[in-house]
Amino acid sequence: MGLSWMQYDFMRYAFAAVLVITPLFGLMGTMVVSRKMAFFSDALGHSALTGIAVGVVCGVRDTDVSMVIFAIVFALLLNRISSRIAASADTVISVFSSCSIAVGLAILSKDGNFSRYSGILVGDVLSITRREILYLVLIFVITLAFWLFGFNKMLAASLNRALAKSRNIPVAFLENAFAVLTALVVMVSIKWVGILIINALLILPAAASQNISENMREYHFFSILFSMFSGVTGLVLSYYVNVAAGPAIVILASAIYFATYLWGSR
Amino acid sequence: MRRKKYLFVFCMLAAIAASCGMFAKLYAGFRGSGGGLRVVTSFYPVYIAALNVAGEDGTVSLENLSEPQTGCLHDYQLTPGDMELLSQADLFLVNGGGIESFLADVGEAYPALNVVRVSEGLELLDSEGAQADEGAAEELEGKNAHCWMDTELYAQMVWNIADALSEADESHAQGYRENARRYCGKIGGLTSQIEEIRKEVLRKGSRTSVILLHEAFAYTAAQCGFGTAYCINLDEERQLGAGEVAEAIKAAESDGVSAVFAERQYGEAMAGTLEAEAGCSVYYLDSLVRGEYRADSYLSGMQENIDSIKAAWEEMR
Repeated sequence: MGLSWMQYDFMRYAFAAVLVITPLFGLMGTMVVSRKMAFFSDALGHSALTGIAVGVVCGVRDTDVSMVIFAIVFALLLNRISSRIAASADTVISVFSSCSIAVGLAILSKDGNFSRYSGILVGDVLSITRREILYLVLIFVITLAFWLFGFNKMLAASLNRALAKSRNIPVAFLENAFAVLTALVVMVSIKWVGILIINALLILPAAASQNISENMREYHFFSILFSMFSGVTGLVLSYYVNVAAGPAIVILASAIYFATYLWGSR
Repeated sequence: MRRKKYLFVFCMLAAIAASCGMFAKLYAGFRGSGGGLRVVTSFYPVYIAALNVAGEDGTVSLENLSEPQTGCLHDYQLTPGDMELLSQADLFLVNGGGIESFLADVGEAYPALNVVRVSEGLELLDSEGAQADEGAAEELEGKNAHCWMDTELYAQMVWNIADALSEADESHAQGYRENARRYCGKIGGLTSQIEEIRKEVLRKGSRTSVILLHEAFAYTAAQCGFGTAYCINLDEERQLGAGEVAEAIKAAESDGVSAVFAERQYGEAMAGTLEAEAGCSVYYLDSLVRGEYRADSYLSGMQENIDSIKAAWEEMR
């Protein structure tokens, strides 16, 4: 068995993508979990369908572009509305998410042809190209810079928004920037991970890490470790067992979550 | 305490990695591990045809890319295992006509792989309106690729496979051609039954149209001489809109259609609606894209189809 999977270009690309994207998922997941944004990122993943549909309607040649643009607009809009409407954030997200999915499904299922797009639900490891890896590296660098300069401020805002504002922290800007970064990471990975489970990749490593961490440093370290471990092991497992890579990765991340939960609840 | 925690994390990850390794080892193993010419087919009907031409004496190591219950491959996604299988193949037999939408990916990954379209040179019917899949050649856009449902075209596909195998393995060319001749003889038995039906249908002339609830049946209906009043391609990938249901009922009533050919798995609900709303009788046919890996499965499946068509014709005339 060994490294026989490395002889294929598509597996090498997938491996490179996993090495770049899983630390990002681990890193961003910590903030998503701390800020209780799991539902937000889930809705963001589902908006990919609508982004593709908008691209199809507008005759865009590369629907990936419309998907990313739509996700960014969707994330910013969600942020804005959630902070202005009196209803709770999960209600607003649910309304937006359902509406967006319905529009996407209605357009894509016209003439009974939704099956053409059903592949994006479970993801396709062959869809990773060199271009996508370059995008991932770019997003990786931007996210890292954002984390280095903005993490403490983001953390302060997540603990107490009013207090953070009083200390001249640009809370709205940071929240929007984080939402846009989450949208980018989710959209660039969605084609090979799949809409149905992309959120799990963002949430599970951080949630597992939260079960056993005692401070912020550990929280980040374990989240990135669990994310990278489940990513690499899941990808290799998917090759030998012949299943889609996304679900294999999520199953391993779930196993880690349950094990840490048992350890943490002793 | 902290040391214990790190030890726990290390042991947990090591245990998961070891379990994955054991699981992968149990599961792994090249599907086409036999000797001889390594041939991979794209899906069930092509596999059955190739199985009959290759014979079962081990001259050819024959593997099917998709599972026997996958059905049509319009939106099939290649898995890592498929790519590995193809990387070791000498010959890849595909139906063609746009059914295998992943061929562009295969061509890109393995430019040297010998891919043969077994429907090459066959006269394909027009599709019910859907466009051909991505990756299909321009001239195939809007064509119906389910040509194995016409026994005469199927026999030509069998000969195309025999030619492809003979070219790839000249030392056994005679055996392949002999197998193809024998198999085509059996297919000829089915063709002559269809010819009998066709003669009677053409003699009657009027009110011989049927409604088809699967595009594949357009070939069988055309070979039998039936006209098509309405055709909806109801398969695993198609969702039906309310407007289409109304159109089909209208077509059944205006053309005086008395028979509907449907596939049980996907067309039962729609067929029931036509039966109740327009008074049509429903006859279930098999599109022959699923089944067991048995050399005679096409012959027995098509014979059952012919029996159903004979029953339909008895009522129509």
